[in-house]
Amino acid sequence: MMIEFVNYALNGALLGLLYALVAMGFVVIYRASKVFNMAVGEMLVLGAFLVWWAVAASAMHPAVGIAAALAISVLVGLAIERLLFRRLIGESVFSMIMVTIGLLILMRGLVLLIWGPQERPFPAIISLTPIIIGDMIVPRPLAAGGLIAVVCAAGLHWFFNRSRTGLAMSAVAEDHQIALAMGISVRRSIAFAWALGGVLSVITSMVYLSGKSLTFLSSEIGFAALPVALLAGLESIAGLLLAGLIVGIVQGLTAAYIDPLIGGNAASVVPYLFMLVVLVVRPTGMFGWKRIERV
Amino acid sequence: MSDSLESPRAGSGHADGEPLPPPHGGHDSHADPLLALANVEVLYAEVILALKGVSLSVPRAGCVALLGANGAGKSTTLKAISGIIDAEDGRVSAGGIIFDGRSIRGHDTAGVVRAGLVHVMEGRRVLPHMTVAQNLIIGGHMFPSTVAMRRALDAVYQAIPRLSELRTRTAGYLSGGEQQLLVIGRAIMAEPKLMLIDEPSLGLAPRMVEEVFAVLHRLREQGLALLIVEQNTRVALALADYGYVMEGGRIVLEGQADELRANEDVREFYLGLDREGGRKSFRDIKHYRRRKRWLG
Ligand SMILES: Nc1ncnc2c1ncn2[C@@H]1O[C@H](COP(=O)(O)OP(=O)(O)OP(=O)(O)O)[C@@H](O)[C@H]1O
Ligand SMILES: [Mg+2]
Repeated sequence: MMIEFVNYALNGALLGLLYALVAMGFVVIYRASKVFNMAVGEMLVLGAFLVWWAVAASAMHPAVGIAAALAISVLVGLAIERLLFRRLIGESVFSMIMVTIGLLILMRGLVLLIWGPQERPFPAIISLTPIIIGDMIVPRPLAAGGLIAVVCAAGLHWFFNRSRTGLAMSAVAEDHQIALAMGISVRRSIAFAWALGGVLSVITSMVYLSGKSLTFLSSEIGFAALPVALLAGLESIAGLLLAGLIVGIVQGLTAAYIDPLIGGNAASVVPYLFMLVVLVVRPTGMFGWKRIERV
Repeated sequence: MSDSLESPRAGSGHADGEPLPPPHGGHDSHADPLLALANVEVLYAEVILALKGVSLSVPRAGCVALLGANGAGKSTTLKAISGIIDAEDGRVSAGGIIFDGRSIRGHDTAGVVRAGLVHVMEGRRVLPHMTVAQNLIIGGHMFPSTVAMRRALDAVYQAIPRLSELRTRTAGYLSGGEQQLLVIGRAIMAEPKLMLIDEPSLGLAPRMVEEVFAVLHRLREQGLALLIVEQNTRVALALADYGYVMEGGRIVLEGQADELRANEDVREFYLGLDREGGRKSFRDIKHYRRRKRWLG
């Protein structure tokens, strides 16, 4: 049926935009510090718990609660720079990436320590009544998520490619030493990156988890979004949207039409397969900075 | 050091080929230099003493050349001044660095750039994935307003028209000479009083070297002070008023540019030959070849 197909594709596309939003967590930190943040999923879970704590557990007014969660996540981002990355300026980028793996483990431990392993109902910050257009049914959080992803991407794209502050941060992602020589504060750029990552993780968690249940395992979305980030290439924020749409639609259609045939879950494998194929052909992703080699 | 003073008894009979004694005060900067280094020592990794007491000064206008063979410590001197030595596990362990009347020793590079001193590193370090215009805008990241930045950008396009033609091109794909012009333009965006520039002619074809140095001439004319490190001594001394020659982390010779040009030792230094006349390394041979092309 045509309408079914459109429905699956549309829902897949919106899911893909959610992946793109999560993947922005990778790209934002990369674009301002050249560090690939392995702890994106964990940051998202932390953001989600902050929202849950403020809005559900402490029963603050949602607006106040969200503002509080945003503020705390910015502080967490700044603390991460202060405690971990400030010491590493001048060290290899590889060692910084290893630190983000340590961060992943540390944050998971902290979340378990503070909030425990049990499931929590995440408040329905975005209303759950689906949007119905003719025969099509679209979950409202996903629709809102798609919109938020587009807005965030546009804003961040402008910031990193047009604004002077953003360009200076991109210079840090290109080459720490050049940035230093021009008097750009690499430290400040990295701090900003993690603060921005914190903000994004709170926003994303509300899109992703509204009305669902939250546990420390919700961080898996980080790995689901990884193919989108790598497909787009780690530098391109606008490219994330396209990569997200492609992955989401392919996944949605696979789940609808192929999984019933083979009686298995091909849909969850397809994005990774897709990612591997693209990376073999073009290691820097579809829109990433091509490695420039000329003599 | 009375023998270094111009003695009336020597008359006009200045012995040719003699190593020039450091002419005290012969450098017109003694009054109020823009930059002054006094006995600067640099330690790498807390063990390697790369500079062993370097003193030099740069006047408020004009150009000073810093010459010497490979590994003499020229780049290290520039890095010590601009503070990027910090990110290379090095530090200034002794001595003073005064810029524009204030000590900048141990200051971070951001502060030094803000004070009006900018360092153009060796090797045409453009931001390869960004356009020419983006590179320049990043160079102007310290401007408080976009209007001021635009004005500086226009000034750079005026001073280096070639960059204006290239503004939308990706910097990584420019030719070597164009990249050198770009890093110079990017440094100018910081509106410096003094530019330290490390081997701008390295690996460029003769015509490009001419173009790059023509730009440096023009900037100098506009009042920018320059401290230039070069292996290509001929072009460097044509631009400079005064020069220093380094060896083994020390200044071993200094003098007015025309005096240095006439000096036999300088020829030896910049051929990369050691005292016995043997070549030190493969890199030196390359320098030698490149130089041959200049002198013809
Ligand atoms: N990061 C570093 N760590 C340790 N030693 C260093 C470092 N950088 C330079 N050196 C040493 O300091 C000395 C001076 O090096 P420097 O790069 O200043 O020479 P240079 O005069 O610029 O030479 P070239 O003409 O080859 O560029 C060399 O012996 C070099 O091996
Ligand atoms: Mg050097």
